[in-house]
Amino acid sequence: MSYIPGQQVTAIVQRVEIHKLCRGEILILGFSIGGGIDQHHSQNPFSEDTTDKGIYVTRVSEGGPAEISGLQIGDKIMQLNCWDMTMVTHDQARKRLTKRSEEVVRLLVTAVSAEGCAAVHQSPGE
Amino acid sequence: MFSRNHRSRVTVARGSALEMEFKRGRFRLSVFSDPPEDTELQRKLDHEIRMREGACKLLAACSQREQALEATKSLLVCNSRILSYMGELQRRKEAQVLGKTGRRPSDSGPPAERSPCRGRVCISDIRIPLMWKDTEYFKNKGDLHRWAVFLLLQLGEQIQDTEMVLVDRTLTDISFQNNVLFSEAGPDFELRLELYGACVEEEGALAGAPKRLATKLSSSLGRSSGKRVRASLDSAGSSGSSPILLPTPAVGGPRYHLLAHTTLTLAAVQNGFRTHDLTLAGHEESPAWLPLYGSVCCRLAAQPFCMTQPTAGGTLRVQQAGELQNGARVHGVLKGTNLFCYRKPEDADTGEEPLFTIAINKETRVRAGELEQAAGRPFTLSISNRYGDDEVTHTLQAESREALHNWMEALWQLFFDMSQWKHCCDEVMKIESPTPRKPPQALAKQGSLYHEMAIEPLDDIAAVTDILAQREGPRLETPPPWLAMFTDQPALPNPCSPASVAPASAWTHPLPWGRPRTFSLDAVPPDHPLGASRSVAPLPSQRSSRSRGLYNKGPLRTWLQSPV
Repeated sequence: MSYIPGQQVTAIVQRVEIHKLCRGEILILGFSIGGGIDQHHSQNPFSEDTTDKGIYVTRVSEGGPAEISGLQIGDKIMQLNCWDMTMVTHDQARKRLTKRSEEVVRLLVTAVSAEGCAAVHQSPGE
Repeated sequence: MFSRNHRSRVTVARGSALEMEFKRGRFRLSVFSDPPEDTELQRKLDHEIRMREGACKLLAACSQREQALEATKSLLVCNSRILSYMGELQRRKEAQVLGKTGRRPSDSGPPAERSPCRGRVCISDIRIPLMWKDTEYFKNKGDLHRWAVFLLLQLGEQIQDTEMVLVDRTLTDISFQNNVLFSEAGPDFELRLELYGACVEEEGALAGAPKRLATKLSSSLGRSSGKRVRASLDSAGSSGSSPILLPTPAVGGPRYHLLAHTTLTLAAVQNGFRTHDLTLAGHEESPAWLPLYGSVCCRLAAQPFCMTQPTAGGTLRVQQAGELQNGARVHGVLKGTNLFCYRKPEDADTGEEPLFTIAINKETRVRAGELEQAAGRPFTLSISNRYGDDEVTHTLQAESREALHNWMEALWQLFFDMSQWKHCCDEVMKIESPTPRKPPQALAKQGSLYHEMAIEPLDDIAAVTDILAQREGPRLETPPPWLAMFTDQPALPNPCSPASVAPASAWTHPLPWGRPRTFSLDAVPPDHPLGASRSVAPLPSQRSSRSRGLYNKGPLRTWLQSPV
């Protein structure tokens, strides 16, 4: 899925809701992200299109909240609690995910395997 | 007199109402309803204006020089495209207005002149040789002075640019890998090529410009107008026609300077590489001066549509001269320099071999009517070709008078096109469709340690051991890539050639709470992937190795992963 700035993006998406796990003072989601507009996109093994600078799920801890909610490795995160994640830096993405004030994150992800898709989503064009 | 195929450039006066409208981003054809090609142009104009706003924002947000260079380049290209589209819109509007204000009786004179068909023009494999002085190589031990250059190509109102290429004294020429395609060009096209360059290192405030003049101008005329005047003085050395690029009123951004330009026309088209002269702009004192050899080598190909698309088709009855019986009934398709005769109309689409082919080239003679007056067969035309000493004549009978007229018209148009496009009609030149361009890479001359992120100390043992396991595992399996230089083993997949050897102290052990920042601050940033220190992406073989010997121009490849 290639992204052309200024044009609409059409993707088959899935809504995933993850409740953060509380370990002492830290809230954990149980997955790792990679990518971002400040990262070098060609290292991304998950994107079909090597120009994709989105945020991808690179690892899901076993038994963690993310795995329970159905997040899979290789998913691309399109939105997070209604914040766009397709054009963010790596740090911005990480910060939005690790906000201490939020216990639940609602992600809109697009999976490589389009089975079990929930809806067709169109981002607002320019 | 207004002629349809003549394109002229329009200059927009500074401070004029038109420029104000442009700045406000609201330029519309107001009064008359727009024909479809104008709405297309309007849409392109709107798109460019939006891109321009985006580029301005990006430029303001840029921190690194290379990003700023890319953003400035996009901004300049958008500017020039906007001007060109606006000029074209204005020209069409004027034409509309002229057309609508009544016609004088004497104007209804000669019928519409025949205009040649359009075509596709493609320029590819552009190479500009450089001419470094020997002192650059042998005595110069200083920092590598680098330039960022790109080409701007304009044909009619279309403006296209190449990627930005970094040039330094180790290169013998500037090569652009793109092929640039212009889809609607007439045989009288003028392809204007302009080479723009900027220093990659920060230039001093008025570096290079004649100092006294520059300070005088910028202090007396005010900063932005002073810059413009200076830019116009810079360009006064060029051949009189204004450069396509506007001087940018950017605040402190990098400035691109016109280094050289040339114009290519139909005469330069050839089905192979050819060298053309470049007119150099600027001189050694001007900023961003590059020692150009003065020529550009490229392949300029043109494909007129009459050669690649069928121009006429229909049912014909063909008889070769000398045969007595009635000719065969075929479906004829006129394409390029051939009239293909197929058995059925569907054969033309399915790619079947035609029954026979009649060549139509510059020496062919076409006549309405028959050469030999046989029993009255109306609606015929004859085509004669000379092969050596023989003359072969085919007689074609069309179905009706209109059909005959259409065929004659198509043939006359073809002859006209061939006379206009000249050698492009001898054979079809291959044009490859341009590959989609890779987006500009975020270049980093040195990897900054501050690009990495600290992960807060986690008390979660499970997460920590997870991180540790991921990091330890791959690191034990893959030896550092620079080891390959000392052994004869083939290097493991890694995108950058091992150009510099990272000191072993860089690979210190991770701290117990999992802080990934393990490089000592004065370590030479390694050229091998930093990604090896973090979780290695599972498919390293997907990276294409782009090693160019020991001189590594690749960016520092990091793809951070963070647990959340």
